[in-house]
Amino acid sequence: MKKFLLFLALLPVSLILLSPPAFAETFTCLACHGSMKGKIRTEKGSFIEVYVDEGRFSRSVHGGMGCTACHKTFKDNPHEAPNAEVARNITELASLISSKAQIDAVAYAACSECHSDTYKQVSESVHGRNVIEKKQHDGALCLDCHGSAHYIMPGQSRESMVNRANVVGACGECHEKEEIAKKYNLGTHIIEKYNESFHGKKYKLGHSGVPTCVDCHGAHGIKKWDDPASPVSWENRTATCGKCHPGANKKFVASITHKPTGKDNPIPFYAEKGLIVLTVGTIAFVIFHVFLEAFADIRDRVFRKNKEEHHD
Amino acid sequence: MTNTRPSEIQRFNLTFRIQHVILLVTFLLLAFTGWALKYPEPALQHTGWWIRLWGGAKAAGIIHRVAGVIMIADFVWHVIYVVSQLLTGKMKFDPVTTIVPVPSDIKNAVQNILYFVGLSDTKPEFGRYNYIQKFDYWAVFWGMAIIGLSGLVLAFPTTVAIFLPQWSANWIWEVFFVLHSDEALLAITYILIMHFYSEHLKWENFPMSMTWITGKLSMHAFKNEHPLEYELEMKENPGAFKNPGKS
Repeated sequence: MKKFLLFLALLPVSLILLSPPAFAETFTCLACHGSMKGKIRTEKGSFIEVYVDEGRFSRSVHGGMGCTACHKTFKDNPHEAPNAEVARNITELASLISSKAQIDAVAYAACSECHSDTYKQVSESVHGRNVIEKKQHDGALCLDCHGSAHYIMPGQSRESMVNRANVVGACGECHEKEEIAKKYNLGTHIIEKYNESFHGKKYKLGHSGVPTCVDCHGAHGIKKWDDPASPVSWENRTATCGKCHPGANKKFVASITHKPTGKDNPIPFYAEKGLIVLTVGTIAFVIFHVFLEAFADIRDRVFRKNKEEHHD
Repeated sequence: MTNTRPSEIQRFNLTFRIQHVILLVTFLLLAFTGWALKYPEPALQHTGWWIRLWGGAKAAGIIHRVAGVIMIADFVWHVIYVVSQLLTGKMKFDPVTTIVPVPSDIKNAVQNILYFVGLSDTKPEFGRYNYIQKFDYWAVFWGMAIIGLSGLVLAFPTTVAIFLPQWSANWIWEVFFVLHSDEALLAITYILIMHFYSEHLKWENFPMSMTWITGKLSMHAFKNEHPLEYELEMKENPGAFKNPGKS
């Protein structure tokens, strides 16, 4: 019995002692970073968030990992730099994406350490090439869609930024912006047009069968629509639409353009205008008629009562 | 034997009443389920209470399609029935009883509005159907042509696409969609305002005219609202109205 009590008393101690080093290390970092508020200006002049929400981090898919698994080294380090060894491919990638990852490029590139297949797809995608080859700072990489690596939730979770319920919003983060559309010569109002389409409306209503952006365009390996490798390229589109619409032909797949109605798309634009005139005109006449009729009915009842009875 | 005059006349036979009930039920189902799609509720994020009432987006879609097919079948049944009635002579064309618009409808409309505003002392005399009732009736044909056809196109897009010319492929789907949804809005608002006023809110019908269930119209309403048909009945079938005077 005494032995058992001793075992019970030592159990918490042993748990701390025997826990993986990652836990202890994370614990140390979070002692400060779990309670720091606000942002800090680095020597380069960018503001970085130094607060890490311990609760959200531990619930995230990366909650079991130590900080230095990704934060292997950083230049603007005010405290002792972690001296983890950095593999060459990570440093290479870090320099490639440095235009994008200005704060801790190594930590950003560290995603590729575990998610190497995905990173390969991304680096060949229109998003990845935009950052790696064209050095654009506003191109999309991992964190733009998935959010901070500290808080990434499993895809099935409603809290995940790329969960089905949130993914259109995640794409819209950039693709709703006019300056992005202008800079990269993309269509404007594409999210708006999606929302107005049957797909978008059913999506909003919680239909589980309709496609979101990624179901047609792809996700990590996304290509521009005129790239023959894109699932929505003119060559592949019938097959892509055909996943849900068997027998889809070229004339059918031309229906989705995400183009706003207007100058470039005049027929639906004027058809709608015409129908609005017809609808509003008819309704206006009907309201006019009903009001007059109601007025006359009440008048006849109240003020011409005798006349009515006489007629009968 | 002072009052042998029937208090009601038979205005619509059972077939027409059944056709009307089917039209009414499918119309409401289509309007309710379609409304959810026309105005998806974004505030409640994926689960608007309205769409849940219809069993979710998928169930609402199925209800909409089934109701649409039944409505079209009802319409076809009606047209076949009326044509066969005309061909067999059970129904005869007469300017007084016809539902086909005739020039006097325009005259009646103008006079009716003048009467409403007090510029005319006499109400126009209507036949079996006044101009509003004719409008009600033909609106269904318009709706069938526009909403019914575009609905079929939208329900079977890959099949319809085979027959479309390539040059129309970029914009025609949007036109079908706009036709379907805007004309449906027109139909709903029209019914909500005009039909509700005439058959529910109007003084003599409040809270509801029972004609759609019984098929009967009171002799008083018959004489007042459809005087020309009343006179025609009198002439053709005087036996049915032994004492048409004061009751």
